[in-house]
Amino acid sequence: MASDDAAVPPAGGRDRLDDGLARLPFVRGRAPEPLPVTLDRRRIYVLPTGHGLLVGTVLLAMLLGALNYNNNPGLLLAFLLAAVVHNGALVAHLRLSGLTVSALQADPVHEGGVLQLRLRVDSGARGREGVIVRGSTGVEVFLPPEAEAPGGGGEVRLAMPAPRRGWQAVGRLRISTTRPLGLVRAWSWIHPAEPLLVYPALEASPPPLPGADSADAARPRAKRSGDDTHHLRDYRSGDAPRQIAWKASARVDRLLVREYEAGSAGDVALAWASLRHLPYEARIARLARWVVDAEREGRRYRLVLPTGTLGPARGPEHRHACLRALALMPESGA
Amino acid sequence: MSDPRGLDAPLRRALAVAVLAAVMPLLLQLPGTVAAGIALVGAVAGWSALRRPLPGALRLLLVVAISGAVLVGFGFRLGRDAGSALLLAMLVLKLSELRDVADARRLAAYALFAPFAAFLQDQGPLTLALGLLAAAGTLLAMGRLARAPRPPPPAAIELGGLARGLLLALPLALVGFWLFPRLPTPLWGLPENAVARSGISGSMSPGDWIDLLADDTPAFRVRFEGPRPPSDQLYWRGPVLTRFDGRRWTEAEGLEGLPPAELPAGPVVARYTITLEPTERRYVFALDLPSGAPPPLALGFDATLRSRDPLRSLAQFSLEAVATAGYEPDLPPMLRALHLALPEGFNPRTRERAVAWRSEAGDDRRYIRRILEWFNAEHAYSISAPPLGRHTADEFLFDTREGFCEHFSSAFVILMRAAGIPARVVTGYTGGVENRVGGFWVVRQMDAHAWTEVWLDGEGWIRVDPTAAVAPERIFDTLEDTLGAGGGLGAAMRPVFDFGDSLREAWNSFVVAYDAARQAELLRGLGWAGAGALEVGQAFIIAAGIALALTLLVLLRPARRERDPLVRAWRAFLRRLARRGWRKRTDESAHAFALRLDAAGASTDARTAAALARRYAALRYAASAGDGADGERAALARALRGYRLRPDQRAPRAAPVG
Repeated sequence: MASDDAAVPPAGGRDRLDDGLARLPFVRGRAPEPLPVTLDRRRIYVLPTGHGLLVGTVLLAMLLGALNYNNNPGLLLAFLLAAVVHNGALVAHLRLSGLTVSALQADPVHEGGVLQLRLRVDSGARGREGVIVRGSTGVEVFLPPEAEAPGGGGEVRLAMPAPRRGWQAVGRLRISTTRPLGLVRAWSWIHPAEPLLVYPALEASPPPLPGADSADAARPRAKRSGDDTHHLRDYRSGDAPRQIAWKASARVDRLLVREYEAGSAGDVALAWASLRHLPYEARIARLARWVVDAEREGRRYRLVLPTGTLGPARGPEHRHACLRALALMPESGA
Repeated sequence: MSDPRGLDAPLRRALAVAVLAAVMPLLLQLPGTVAAGIALVGAVAGWSALRRPLPGALRLLLVVAISGAVLVGFGFRLGRDAGSALLLAMLVLKLSELRDVADARRLAAYALFAPFAAFLQDQGPLTLALGLLAAAGTLLAMGRLARAPRPPPPAAIELGGLARGLLLALPLALVGFWLFPRLPTPLWGLPENAVARSGISGSMSPGDWIDLLADDTPAFRVRFEGPRPPSDQLYWRGPVLTRFDGRRWTEAEGLEGLPPAELPAGPVVARYTITLEPTERRYVFALDLPSGAPPPLALGFDATLRSRDPLRSLAQFSLEAVATAGYEPDLPPMLRALHLALPEGFNPRTRERAVAWRSEAGDDRRYIRRILEWFNAEHAYSISAPPLGRHTADEFLFDTREGFCEHFSSAFVILMRAAGIPARVVTGYTGGVENRVGGFWVVRQMDAHAWTEVWLDGEGWIRVDPTAAVAPERIFDTLEDTLGAGGGLGAAMRPVFDFGDSLREAWNSFVVAYDAARQAELLRGLGWAGAGALEVGQAFIIAAGIALALTLLVLLRPARRERDPLVRAWRAFLRRLARRGWRKRTDESAHAFALRLDAAGASTDARTAAALARRYAALRYAASAGDGADGERAALARALRGYRLRPDQRAPRAAPVG
């Protein structure tokens, strides 16, 4: 699924026209809809590209001239080219028709990060060469080779910035192609209803975890000298840069993170109420940070929010539940 | 080129090839020097397109230089040909400024127009073939442009796709060609060429036809209905030259308003259809003497047929010839004076001889006979006559005494006029060659001829051919006779040439001459009564619908056979497993499927299948598909094809997987 490197630059000047077209009342794919969606002729649109308009003008001039002079070779050429262009529009339409977008996933990231959308696409009966998916932010990506073959399927990966915590709408995706000649563009809009979760931002340099016993709340820096007190694991999104073991990472050519032996530490209570002195969003960022740190240190933790209490527990599910709850905290102070 | 918006090497190559192909048909129509200049600039621009861009100043210099060269080449006259040459020059120069995809797109669109410009000059099959090739080249480049930034597919697939696209376009294209309603009359005229084609031009001075008489390109083709006149009566009448300035014979100007000549109502000796090659002039050559002018044509006072507009493309007319035994017995005084005029100060010896011999002869006919006998006895036919000075007739008649039809007809008319007999030079063609394969006659430029008409009291205009008095064989001898005498290779090749030319004639009458009238005829032939533009339009819509349905039928077929034999074998393998009940889900990878197969059954069949699936996953999706993988792939494909379920394990659908 090496489709990330197949990114093509955004179209540019056409975007505004695109947006205008997408707002037309009869257009399909305006309102969010649940996946899977199969593209059919009711939602595939075909219009000439700029290049197509230029070629069309040339062909029209040729046709008029040939008709006027009754120039039969010229007329034959003009009709042949016009038929090629016309069939190209049919081919472009058929290249989209029957394509199914069956699922959309993205691992949650923290606010300010980049969501990696994974769009499951099944090609159906026809080949899908040169089909491009464009995200709502304008980034364009080819279908992966597995999804281009007839009867195949694969995942399209789209990067999407996550500027706000909480549920983020995917927005309108455009699936398009200008094959075979680049003279017409066939496209279809889909608007997946599935929202994506964005975790809150993490506070950059938080105070140590609150704990029952502050001696227990061991600072990672204090133990840095002892090599045997930690082991290395692969980097996961959300890990703090200072925890990356740069030397070790350089040796194995991937990012490794120091992880500290756990077990001796006690439970932690992460309480919304204990942070009254902080602004609203900063409280969320601090709590999120503590959740991540506590999980990393292998401690059991309990998150106490105005909306309810989670835990005490530990493990990925608990971490997710806590971050989700923080992400879905209502807007400021409500 | 790391810039994804830039143009990579395969794309640049495709564009250079497309421009080369687009330029070719038109380049062959241009004069040699201009064509060579454009080819040179094209080579520079092509190199620049492939290697590195030219500096802006150099490009500007090239634009100015090539435009100037084209203008000089066409003598600063802007005609259709000069315009086409400029178009070509700009097209090849555009190659040198390929900066981004937008430039490439514009270039491709312009390249599409070049073959059309070539068709305005020539509509032959070779030009059409080259034009179609050019269109194919441009479509190939457009295909690569549409793929960018991805690399082009292997050549076989790319060319196959192009051929398929063109074939698929054929039904619609042919329907458009045959049935799209044609204009019965053009809305605007074709612009003139700056440089006239060679051929009979409406003026003549002794010795200037030497090139023409060596030119074997066809002037026109004739198909006789019924018997054809004898060879020595095949005079194809063209412009009639009445004015002489001492050096040059020209048509009388400003006399278009005169009433047309009165033609005799004699018996019709020939009915024929003539197909004239484009000449850029209005003359329509007709067998002497035409019976009249059918509607689009007009008859002049000099009994010459002219079309309303210059013949810029192939033109076809159905005409009749009547027997000539003198016409226009009454010559108005104004015309009589016109046909007696001679400039003062030229050819004193000839005029002296004319006056003396006329008075000795006592009668016009005897005088003419004496002159012709003198020609026959003391003058020789020679295509390599020496150039003449001021007194062309004097020098030819008394000094050099050799020349060809121009010399003879010019001197003869001067002798007549000096003796008080109205006379004029008639230019046109004589003879022609029969094409035995096609059953038509070809008249070539080398058959150009000049003869004379004299007006005799009580008889009217009578044709006199002074050259025929000297060398009849040079006029009427057809290629056939010359070759028959020489025998050898020429005679043996004759059927080949005939066949080639008859193909061309068929092309002309079936392809080039197809127009609104023929279109209506075609529909009438199909039983579509009273076919006007509306009916043609209806027929077009119906036929286009059928063609479109045909095209869709092909396009909507399920996807093509998988090309990769390994994938083909894998799919067949999956189908066999599915019959057993072991179905691979579409969202499942080959590897996951193998795990599931392992889990499903203890049978050896399942384990073998799982092993094969694992090998397939490893080979097809492994990150490092090494160089030696080809043999391995073939082996696996064989193993997949060879896999069979044992019959005893097929019966129960006990352990369904999935």
